[in-house]
Amino acid sequence: MEQTVKNPADGAPDYNFAYLDEQTKRMIRRALLKAVAIPGYQVPFAGREMPMPYGWGTGGVQVTAAVIGPNDTLKVIDQGADDTTNAVSIRQFFAKTAQVATTEKTAEASIIQTRHRIPEKELREDQVLVYQVPIPEPLRFLVPRETETRKMHALEEYGLMHVKLYEDISRHGHIATTYAYPVMVDDRYVMDPSPTPKFDNPKMNNMAALQLFGAGREKRIYALPPYTKVKSLDFEDHPFEVQTWEDKCGMCGARDSYLDEVILDDQGNRMFVCSDTDYCAERQEAGHRGPQHHDQPLGSADRGKAAE
Amino acid sequence: MTPQPQSTSAQTSDLLPGFDHTAFDSNAVFRALLDAMSRPGRIYDLPVAVSAPDGLNKAATATLLAMADMDTTIWLSPSCVTKAAGDHLKFHCGCPISTDVKQADFAIARISDDLSFVTDLAIGNAEYPDQSATLILMVDEISDQPSMTLKGPGIKDTHSLAVKGLPESFHAWRAENHHLFPCGVDVIFASETQIAALSRTTRIEVN
Amino acid sequence: MYVAVKGGERAINNAHKLLAEQRRGDTDIAEIETDQIEQQLSLSVTRVMAEGSLYDRDLAALAIKQARGDLIEAIFLMRAYRTTLPRFAFSKPIKTAEMDVSRRISATFKDLPGGQILGPTFDYTHRLLDFTLMANGEAPTEAPSGAQPVDENMPRVLDDILNYEGLIQDEPVPVDENAPVADLTREPVKFPAGRDLRLQNLSRGDEGFVLALGYSTQRGYANSHAFVGEIRYGTVSVEIEPEELGFAIDIGDIELTECETVNKFKGSKTKLPQFTRGYGLVFGQNERKAISMALVDRAMRANEMGEQIMGPAQDSEFVMEHSDNVQSTGFVEHIKLPHYVDFQGELELVRRMRAEVEERLAKSDAENGTSQPEAAE
Repeated sequence: MEQTVKNPADGAPDYNFAYLDEQTKRMIRRALLKAVAIPGYQVPFAGREMPMPYGWGTGGVQVTAAVIGPNDTLKVIDQGADDTTNAVSIRQFFAKTAQVATTEKTAEASIIQTRHRIPEKELREDQVLVYQVPIPEPLRFLVPRETETRKMHALEEYGLMHVKLYEDISRHGHIATTYAYPVMVDDRYVMDPSPTPKFDNPKMNNMAALQLFGAGREKRIYALPPYTKVKSLDFEDHPFEVQTWEDKCGMCGARDSYLDEVILDDQGNRMFVCSDTDYCAERQEAGHRGPQHHDQPLGSADRGKAAE
Repeated sequence: MTPQPQSTSAQTSDLLPGFDHTAFDSNAVFRALLDAMSRPGRIYDLPVAVSAPDGLNKAATATLLAMADMDTTIWLSPSCVTKAAGDHLKFHCGCPISTDVKQADFAIARISDDLSFVTDLAIGNAEYPDQSATLILMVDEISDQPSMTLKGPGIKDTHSLAVKGLPESFHAWRAENHHLFPCGVDVIFASETQIAALSRTTRIEVN
Repeated sequence: MYVAVKGGERAINNAHKLLAEQRRGDTDIAEIETDQIEQQLSLSVTRVMAEGSLYDRDLAALAIKQARGDLIEAIFLMRAYRTTLPRFAFSKPIKTAEMDVSRRISATFKDLPGGQILGPTFDYTHRLLDFTLMANGEAPTEAPSGAQPVDENMPRVLDDILNYEGLIQDEPVPVDENAPVADLTREPVKFPAGRDLRLQNLSRGDEGFVLALGYSTQRGYANSHAFVGEIRYGTVSVEIEPEELGFAIDIGDIELTECETVNKFKGSKTKLPQFTRGYGLVFGQNERKAISMALVDRAMRANEMGEQIMGPAQDSEFVMEHSDNVQSTGFVEHIKLPHYVDFQGELELVRRMRAEVEERLAKSDAENGTSQPEAAE
């Protein structure tokens, strides 16, 4: 017996639980098992057309649809935020087609689908992080051809990637890659972490949660099992480093989170806020305050400090 | 809209039922398999109740119901080949069953079988290491006794695993298999009620 | 004061309402019916079926209506619906040689067995706007029937006529007509791809993309001068053979355009000079697509023919990776999604790099005592 969910559009036929038919889910599930068995290797899969456009998270959506069960609680973030339109749209899709519980709280989610960020809060063993990936191939911009990049992965031939990074150093004095910064997985495969800022790269290393990556248009799935060594590529004389800010979050005062810049007017005034909205909200609930918080007059001392 | 199971010559009346709830049960079994393959050596309880046909045990049957279909080829070791098992898999999974072990996407055997076939299983190739077989080994008992110490991706430091009746030849093959990385065969141990897995990345020390 | 943007859900719902309103347009104008689209915009319907990879005229008409006539959006709707359909059976190979022909022409022979059948075509219309259609003065016309019926077994120009002399590359029909054929909707594409996969990719590829590539082969970005050996358009029946029955049953007719091109080939050390072929097949009446497809198919056979690759149309990986308009439009348009996390990283990097350069310049200026660049102007 198949579980079906009434399509919200009247008169249309019913769809299977979590939209995909069981055969498609099995195909994706088989790819996922291979992906965790070969960490960082891109498993080709017969990605399906989804009811949202390619490039808008169809890979992540297919992975989530294959993984999600009726007892899961789903969180969806885009740019770290639960309330960005595409995150809302994907969350609604699963709320309708799988009728699962959804949450904005990182700690309450069993599956977190993300675009471009890893939550600031440390993830647990019982959580799965699903990344939406636009271009899974870390070598794509060096060599556009799949036939060649596949060979390079097979032969572990990553010299070109190191040359590219080193060219940055000789030209700019440092590596000029800020997001989608390539990583080496378990000393074997160079992997694209998806366009997360390099700030998030260290979180991937030895993460307790399972990390799954879905690229729908490019039809690739890859994975990082929990507690897998993930090292950002670097050089002895130019070690990998993450972004830092002189500012802190204007709302919660956090100094340890990834900050988005918000333009306040056309006079060059700006402020910074946490990109992870749940992290920021939780800190504010705990009494932390940043300089631009609404119960904090602009320019006054950081009351947040007292709370920290 | 509901897909019809593959028709076969089997008499429906002789057949055991498959999953009660296709979508939910497949998902639950897959999640256990995903957890097991992501965390090699950890033991997971079979999350659903299924009937196993003669020749297969419950966890192996559930694994195949969840993972196999018309796009996967199954190979059964001689001790698993029964009419009931063949009919069950053909009816519920619609999967082709081959007698050529080299064709297998999933190979099913008992731990007491002659396991020399494992060296014939597909291991993929350097460009497509995913084109490899998965071995489902039916066993009597899995425990976390320290007869093996496991290391590798998915394992925080080390993990202990014991599989009753695992022959010496298995370890020799596994050591060779690990050496072939990224090619290789992944193994699922299936007892009547539990599953555990060894990914091709897992390094095993036999204590 | 900064307030984090909230209300994405409400914004989306309202945007959908606005979209629906715009789709409907002025409510004083009668709503368009899907059967009107199906009948009167039939070439849109067949394009949506072809590139949507789903032969269902009613659904295609619905998709066109829902997409406000944006055909790529309609194709996307068809594809997304197609995904959810379980596969019951595989059809037997269709036989275009047994096509019920509405149109059949050859550019290589003035007359030939079976004859030239002009059929419904824009080809010789003068492209003058017909204002009577606008004035709702459409005159019902009935086309006269031909004096004699069309041959039931219309010989194929390339196989039955030209090959009689052995002048054209032989394309034997596989002995086992049930041999597996690649299907990119069910298996991930691997390169180099076989011709079956390449043809499938082209047949559902974007008409504009395939047209442009076909055109490029005529302008020197490939060297495969082509003649249209034959174009035929009409209906063929589709059969499946359910295992439990053991014999084939007819499940319906589909409309197809088939094109075979004849291309020059100088021969090689081991092969006599002969003509080679390109093949195009597409749902509905779409000669532009079928001819373009045949040109690109022939171009992509460069490796097989030992030809030098000199244009994008000959590069199968390039063609196949970029032909799908649902993929292309999604990825091209996705850059309007928020990217502020990545942009923040770039912002920080550019600021830092500028600061570093300025610092270096200031330092070297101080050391050399050079004047400010402004002073020189």
